[in-house]
Amino acid sequence: MSGTPPVDMAAMPPLQAAGSGIPEGVEPVLEAVDVTKHFAARGGNPLRHQKRIVHAVDGVSLKLYPGYITALVGESGCGKSTLARLFAQLYPLSSGEIRYRGQAVKTTGGKAFRAYVSKVQLILQDPFGSLNPVSLISRTLQRAVRIHHAGKSRAQQRAVVDDLLRQVNLVPPRQFTEKFPHELSGGQLQRISIARALAADPDVFLADEPVSNLDVSIRLGILNLLKKLTLERNVALLYVTHDIASARYFAAETAVMYAGELIEQGPSEEVTQHAAHPYTQLLIASAPDPSRVASARVLDIGQPPSLINPPSGCRFHPRCPYAMQRCRTTTPPRFELGGSHTARCWLYAEDEEAAARRAENLATPCTTTQPLGPKTKEQSQ
Amino acid sequence: MVAAAITTKTETPEAGARGARLAWLRAFGRPLTATGLIITIFFAVLAIIGPWLAPYDPSTVSDATTAAPSAAHWLGTTQNGQDILSQMLYGARVSMLVGVGSAVIGTFLSVLVGLLAGYLGGVADELLSLLANVFLVLPSLPLTIILAAYLPHSGSLGIIFVISITGWAWGARVLRAQTLSLRHRDFVEAARATGERTGQIIIRDILPNQVAVIAASFLGTVTGAILTQAGLAFLGLTDVTQWSWGTILYWAQVSSALLTGAWWWFVPAGLAIALLGTGLSLVNFGIDEFINPRLRQAGVGTRKAAKAITKRPRAVRRRSVPRTPRPAAAPFTPDSTDVILEVKDLKVDYVGEHASTLAVNDVSFTLRRGEVLGIAGESGSGKSTLAYAITRLHKPPAQISGGQILYTRPDGTKVDVLGLDDRQLRDFRWEELSIVFQSAMHALNPILRVGEQIEDAIKAHRPEMSDTARAKRVVELLQLVGIQPDRVRAYPHELSGGMRQRAMIAIGLALDPEIIVMDEPTTALDVVIQRQIVEKIMELKDRLGFSVIFITHDLSLLIELSDTIVVMYAGKLVERAAAQDFYRDPKHPYSRSLLSSFPTLSGPKRELTGIPGTPPDLRKPSPGCAFNPRCPLAFGACIEVVPRLYQLETPTGRTCEAACLVYDEQLGREAVATAPTIEGTLR
Repeated sequence: MSGTPPVDMAAMPPLQAAGSGIPEGVEPVLEAVDVTKHFAARGGNPLRHQKRIVHAVDGVSLKLYPGYITALVGESGCGKSTLARLFAQLYPLSSGEIRYRGQAVKTTGGKAFRAYVSKVQLILQDPFGSLNPVSLISRTLQRAVRIHHAGKSRAQQRAVVDDLLRQVNLVPPRQFTEKFPHELSGGQLQRISIARALAADPDVFLADEPVSNLDVSIRLGILNLLKKLTLERNVALLYVTHDIASARYFAAETAVMYAGELIEQGPSEEVTQHAAHPYTQLLIASAPDPSRVASARVLDIGQPPSLINPPSGCRFHPRCPYAMQRCRTTTPPRFELGGSHTARCWLYAEDEEAAARRAENLATPCTTTQPLGPKTKEQSQ
Repeated sequence: MVAAAITTKTETPEAGARGARLAWLRAFGRPLTATGLIITIFFAVLAIIGPWLAPYDPSTVSDATTAAPSAAHWLGTTQNGQDILSQMLYGARVSMLVGVGSAVIGTFLSVLVGLLAGYLGGVADELLSLLANVFLVLPSLPLTIILAAYLPHSGSLGIIFVISITGWAWGARVLRAQTLSLRHRDFVEAARATGERTGQIIIRDILPNQVAVIAASFLGTVTGAILTQAGLAFLGLTDVTQWSWGTILYWAQVSSALLTGAWWWFVPAGLAIALLGTGLSLVNFGIDEFINPRLRQAGVGTRKAAKAITKRPRAVRRRSVPRTPRPAAAPFTPDSTDVILEVKDLKVDYVGEHASTLAVNDVSFTLRRGEVLGIAGESGSGKSTLAYAITRLHKPPAQISGGQILYTRPDGTKVDVLGLDDRQLRDFRWEELSIVFQSAMHALNPILRVGEQIEDAIKAHRPEMSDTARAKRVVELLQLVGIQPDRVRAYPHELSGGMRQRAMIAIGLALDPEIIVMDEPTTALDVVIQRQIVEKIMELKDRLGFSVIFITHDLSLLIELSDTIVVMYAGKLVERAAAQDFYRDPKHPYSRSLLSSFPTLSGPKRELTGIPGTPPDLRKPSPGCAFNPRCPLAFGACIEVVPRLYQLETPTGRTCEAACLVYDEQLGREAVATAPTIEGTLR
C-alpha cells in the first residue's frame, strides 16, 4: 500500500516533556501583549451611527517559547483561531502588541510582511481546503520554496522540495509530488501543509486545529511529527485545539480561552488535572471519557455568549454555578495559583466569600458531574 | 471485474502519475463533448482554410441565377449567380473572427475587472463594480445598433469592439462573486501566510480555480457574438460587401429569397450558426470535467449504478393498519433477545468505470429493542455508507448488491427493508426509522421556520391530524429536546449549532419512530454542546424507549453511550462486543490500536501508540486481512486469508466477535509461534 511509512516509535520524543510547563530562563520567541481584536459586524442601525462590534479577542497576553508547544484550547467562536491569525499578522490588531524576539512587529503587507512570515508560519485546519485543488503538489511546494529559497537554482529548489517531503515522512517524495490534492489522504495532505510551512525554515509554527479534520488513527502521527519538528528545530509551536485531552499529552503549557478572553493558563498537566476556572472544569467534564460512571451527568448550563454584547464582569458568569455579585460587575484579574498556573476567576480572591465559594467548587466541581434535576434548565439562546 | 481490479493493483506509481496527468483527455472521450469538439474544430478549420477551398470567388456574378444546389454549385447560387458555398466558406472566417475576437476581448475585460474587484475589495471593488453595473444596465441591443451604425465601415474590428464593450460586464459580475468566495478559502489564506505576493495569488490560486467559469463565459460569448454579428449584418448595419454568414442572410432577405422559395440561399447560413452554437454548448458541458481534476474520474459510476436496478422480491403490501403502540419503555439489558432490526450479509458497492468498490462487505449485526448500537470506524470504513443503506437513502453510484435488512414491526411481523416499494419505504422511514444527519445546517431548509419543518414531517405522514393537534405536537417535541417553545418561529440561521441539532432530533422524533439512526450527530459541535446533546438523546431514549444506531469516529464517546459496539474497517465488521467489555478488553488489534490512540484526560498519562500507515484504499483491495499492513500482530497467513468473525468469550461471560486470524484454531497457532507475547496480550 502506498502511503506513509510506519511512524518510527523509537524516534518519538519522550512523553514527560509534555505537560510539565516551561522552565524559567527560556526567552519567548513570539509574544502577544494585551492583544485585542474587534471586528465590525454587519447589522446595527446606520442612521443612528450604531456600529456593532464583535469582541473576538480581548486583552490576551500569551508567550510562545522555542522548543515548546503551547496549547490554546477553547470552543469554536472563542477567538482562538483569531488569536493565531493575529500572531500571523494576517489581521491588523485593534490594540496591544505582537512582539517577535522582544521587538514589536506591525506589518500589514509588502516586504516586511513577507519577511515576518518567513519566521512565523501558519498551518491551517482543513488539509483538504488548504491546498489549491487544481495545482499539483509539486507546484504548490515549489512556490513556497521559490519564495524562501529565492537564490537557488531550479534543480536545487527541487532537491529542497524532496528534502521537505522526507522531513514530514512522505517517502519516496516522487510518489507524492505528481499528485493532485484529491488523490491523497487527509493525513498526507496535512503533512504536505507542514512541509510547505517548513520551506520557510520558521522560528514559530502556528497550527490552527491541525488534526481535528483527520481520522483518529492519523492524528497521533501528525502531532508526533509536529512535536519532533518543534524539538529538533527549536521552534515554538502554538497548538490551537478544542481537544483539551490532546493538549495534556502534547503541550508543555495550556491556555484556555472563553468568549475572547484568556481565562486560565499554566502547565498542561496542572491545567487538566487541577482545573481552576469553572469553565475549564466544564470543558474537561464534557469531554468524552469511557471510564466515566454511567449515571454521572454534566450540568446543562447553556451556551457561550454573543461576542457582540459580551456579558459584563466575568464573561462566564451567566453560566457559572459559583457566580458571586462581583462576577457580574467586575472583570476578574489574573490570580496566581502557584507555579506558572494562573486563572482569571474571582473564586481565587483572598476574602471570605470567595473562600466559601471556592470550597463549594472543590466539593462539587463541574468535573464531578451532578445528576440532572427533574426539570432541565431550559436554554433559549 | 476481477481482471480490472488486478490491473489497478499492479499499476506502478509512475504509470499512475502519468494516467492522472492524461486524465483530462478523457473528458473529450464523452460522446457529447467529443461531438461538440469536432463541430467546433470543423468550423475553426473552415475559418482558416475556407477561402482556399472555395470553388469560386464569392462576389463573382454568373449566368446561373437563383439556381438550386447542383454538382457545379453544391449549395446553389444567388440571384446574381454567385456561388453560395463559396460565400459560406469566406463568411466562416469573418463570423468566427468576430466570435472569437469579441470573446477574447470581452473575457479579458471580465477577468480583469472581476478578479481585481473580488480580490482587492474595498474602494477598488466598489469602483469596478460600479463600472460593471453601469455597463450592465446599458440597453445593450440599441447601443450595439447605434455603435454599429456609426462604425459601419470599420469592418470586423468595429463589430468586435462593439460586441465586447457591451458584453463583458455580466462575466465580470460572475467572476467577482466567485473571487469573493475563493478569497476566503483556506488555500488562498495559506498562500498568503506562506508569504506569496498578491499578483501571484491571483494568477496561481484564484485564476486556475475559475477556469471553468471563464471558459464557459468565453464559449458563451463566442456564440453570442456570432449571433449578434449575424443579426447586425442581417439588418444591414455592417459592411454588406464583406462576406459573412450574416451578410448572406442580409442579401437573401433583400432579394426576397424566402418569398421565391430559394431555401438554399438562407438555410446553410442559419444552419451553420445553429450548428456552431450547439457545438460550443456541447464543449461547454465537458469543460468542467476537463478543468477539475477531481471530476475527471467521477460520474461514470453514477450512471452505471442508476441503470442497474436491483431486482428483489417485493414485500407483501400491507394495508396501513394503525400502529400497535410501543410497549412501555423497558430498560435494555445485555441479554435481551428482542431483535428489532437484523442486518444480514449486507453488501454495498460503489459502481466505478472499470470496477466496483465494495464499501460495505458482508456486514451482519442485530439491533435489539431499546439498545444503543455504536458503529465505530474511520473515514472510508463504510460506516456512513452502511447508515445510508439501512435507511435506503443511498444514492448512485452506491448500490446495495446483496443481503437483507429485516425489520420487526411492533406487531411481531418481519419485513425486508430492501424489498419495500417506494410508498412503503416512505412509511417505513420516519414512522419506524428516522435518521439524524451530521450537518444540521445543511439538513434544515434555511428559508423555512423550524416549527414549519417539524410540522411538515408530521403532515406528510399524518395528514388526518388537525392543525391544532399538530401545533401542539410541535411545541411538545421542541420542549422534549430542550428548545423553548417560543423558538417555533425561528429560522435555522437564528439558532446556534447545538439548537439546530436539537431541532433535527425533534424532527427525527416527530413520528415516534422505533429506531433512530444518528450519523455523526455531534461531530461538528463543541464538546460542551456535544455533551448536552448526547445526554438529551440518552434521556429521551430512556423515556421513550426507541433504539439507536449511533455512528461516529469518536470511540470514547461511543463507548460511553453505547450498549454494544461494532467496529468497521475497510468495509468489514471487524469486532462486535458489549461496550464495557470492549473498553476493558478489545479483541481486534485494530480496536486495540484505536483505543490507544486517544489521549485521556483522567488518570495517569499512558503511552499513545497510534496506528502507523494510512487507512486502506478500498479501490485497491488487498488479499487477506485489510488491516494487515498496519497490524502489529500480523503474521504469515494474514496476507492471504481473509479472517471471518470468530466467536469469543469475554471475562464477563458474554460472547463477542472479532475478525482476526489469531483467534483461528489452526492459523492462530502460527501467530503464537511467531510472536509468543500474543498469548498474553490478546487471548
